[in-house]
Amino acid sequence: MNFPVRLAFRHVFSNKTRNGLTILAITIAVFLLCFLLAVVRGIDAGVRSASSTRLVTQSAVSLFVTLPMSYRPKIDAQEAVTVASEFRWFGGYYQDPSNFFPQFAVNKDRFVDMYVKDFEIIEGPNGITGPGARDAVKKAFATEKRAAIIGMGLRDDEKYNFQIGDTVPIIPAIYQRADGGAWDYVIVGIFKPLKARIPDKIMYFRSDYLNDSIESGEAFGEVAAGVYYVNIDQGSQAEMIATSIDQDFLNGPQRTQTVTEAAFASFFVSAIGNLPLFLGTVGGAVLFSIFFSVVNAMLIAGRQRLKEAGILQALGFPPITSCLLLIIEGLAVALIGGALGLALAISTQDLVVLNFGDSIRNYEIDSGLILLAIGTSSVLGITAGLCAGIPFLRYRPTEALRSLG
Amino acid sequence: MSQDSYIQLKSVSKKYSRGGEDLIVLDQLDLNIPDGDYAALMGPSGSGKTTILNLVGGLDVPDSGTVTVAETEVSSIPTRQLPAWRARHVGFVFQSFNLLPVLTAHENVMLPLQLTPLSAAERKKQADFALEIVGLSDRAGHRPSQLSGGQEQRVAIARAIATDPDVIIADEPTGDLDRNSADEILELLNRLNEELGKTILMVTHDPAAASNARRILKLDKGHLVSDEINRQASGQTQGEA
Ligand SMILES: Nc1ncnc2c1ncn2[C@@H]1O[C@H](COP(=O)(O)OP(=O)(O)O)[C@@H](O)[C@H]1O
Ligand SMILES: [Mg+2]
Repeated sequence: MNFPVRLAFRHVFSNKTRNGLTILAITIAVFLLCFLLAVVRGIDAGVRSASSTRLVTQSAVSLFVTLPMSYRPKIDAQEAVTVASEFRWFGGYYQDPSNFFPQFAVNKDRFVDMYVKDFEIIEGPNGITGPGARDAVKKAFATEKRAAIIGMGLRDDEKYNFQIGDTVPIIPAIYQRADGGAWDYVIVGIFKPLKARIPDKIMYFRSDYLNDSIESGEAFGEVAAGVYYVNIDQGSQAEMIATSIDQDFLNGPQRTQTVTEAAFASFFVSAIGNLPLFLGTVGGAVLFSIFFSVVNAMLIAGRQRLKEAGILQALGFPPITSCLLLIIEGLAVALIGGALGLALAISTQDLVVLNFGDSIRNYEIDSGLILLAIGTSSVLGITAGLCAGIPFLRYRPTEALRSLG
Repeated sequence: MSQDSYIQLKSVSKKYSRGGEDLIVLDQLDLNIPDGDYAALMGPSGSGKTTILNLVGGLDVPDSGTVTVAETEVSSIPTRQLPAWRARHVGFVFQSFNLLPVLTAHENVMLPLQLTPLSAAERKKQADFALEIVGLSDRAGHRPSQLSGGQEQRVAIARAIATDPDVIIADEPTGDLDRNSADEILELLNRLNEELGKTILMVTHDPAAASNARRILKLDKGHLVSDEINRQASGQTQGEA
């Protein structure tokens, strides 16, 4: 190993406490950076995978005000609208509140046609699989009032293990039943999501099952549609159709606000406090403060090198040597910390997906993030080394040798 | 330049400004040291001894006058080229040894050799040889903290001679040592002068140390007040230079 590198590494390992703490700080910072960016990108991927040929019509007042059932035929009648379905949040759980997954009440005749591009039906009634499964499931969903279509995650997770034909009791959080019991659903279809936005632990069931039960007094609540999802023709003007739908309901009974699914998805994200911005800010702040602690550590190292700089210059080394030594030292410390942080992020990847997988889809420490982490560490180390090293460029050896010699 | 003036200061002045006030350290100083000489520079603290060494060693430049070493006018070498000149021509020995504590004795001696065009194998050979001269081959792998003061200074001397420079500059090299260690160092400097022909300029407060030199210079308030041949020392090696 050539001389400056060897000397710089001696310094790295001769200040074990200080450099150890700096390395630890960088390890944590790089881990957090990778974690937060992977989360943000996971959320982003969901927003971006939202369809631009789908609109969401919601109440102009608030997401939590439901639209009436009567709106669907009117929306359907719009030119360029291919299929529309109501979507209503159910919010129940299976056996225990910790077993939570989203359930939506959707239109029995429209829903399956609506999500052709978004998921692939992989299993239907009587063991049917393959291309014929979609039609079989569509038929079964239209026939059986308690029918439900689920994502494959609910089949594959041992906690649920829902299979075709199973009757699954879901305990309501909002729509209580008069008998105080659970809602029973019969699984008629299982799908595999094709888009990042759609979780694989989710259940869709018939809105008329919910509404008819409420109407007959078997359950409590209000007969309503929730919001509407509206598929439009490829290549049509989403903005114009949205405006046109909203115009139809200007005089009530509920005014609407129609947006693209992508806008709706990002609104949904921002509704929980603009998570990407928040996480990005946290990551930035962590990095920023770590940067100063690394610079500070290197400045301390620099002050301890005054005498060494004087000696090296007396021996005939140019002033830039001491600057270079500090840059190499900073880079070494930062890269060791960065590598450890990265290793931590990569090795906990499966753990994170296992624990937060439902809320953070697509969490992955990919090559882009790895490069970013290495790049960030390098810049951090070099900059800190430069901060400490630059004063040595104009450093007079006689001063060091006199004051310390 | 006269043949026998190896180190020559001509009308050298140097002042420092401290708090707006000028402190004249050297005032039109003339000094001549012949090739192969061993000169001891004595004088009260603050009289400018270290300043002279820094000028001769190219660590500092005079305000006026010229400093010449081995026929090179050091005072006119551009600042950027001074380090390279130092590496080739001067070896420094300091009072407080100034070894790098994170490097072994051998690595410390290797330091100045990094600046030479020698191959790695040649550098190692030179460093081995320098350590052998100072009698510390068996301590090559030790860190400075594992050595006594006298041993540290011997490593520092090995470092100073590793590149085979013309001039050894020593600033109170025995100042931090006990008598026995000091005598060992002085013995070593004598050998460097007599056997290897190094020109040595040594600052010292210690009359015993000075008595080893061939020439004794006395400095006071920036002026040379005495320049004498030391009969005792020069007598031993008459006609060698
Ligand atoms: N960089 C400097 N700035 C200001 N004063 C200095 C500086 N270097 C040396 N001096 C002053 O110059 C004088 C001579 O210093 P020096 O050559 O070190 O003396 P000596 O080595 O003989 O003790 C002292 O008074 C010292 O304080
Ligand atoms: Mg001095």
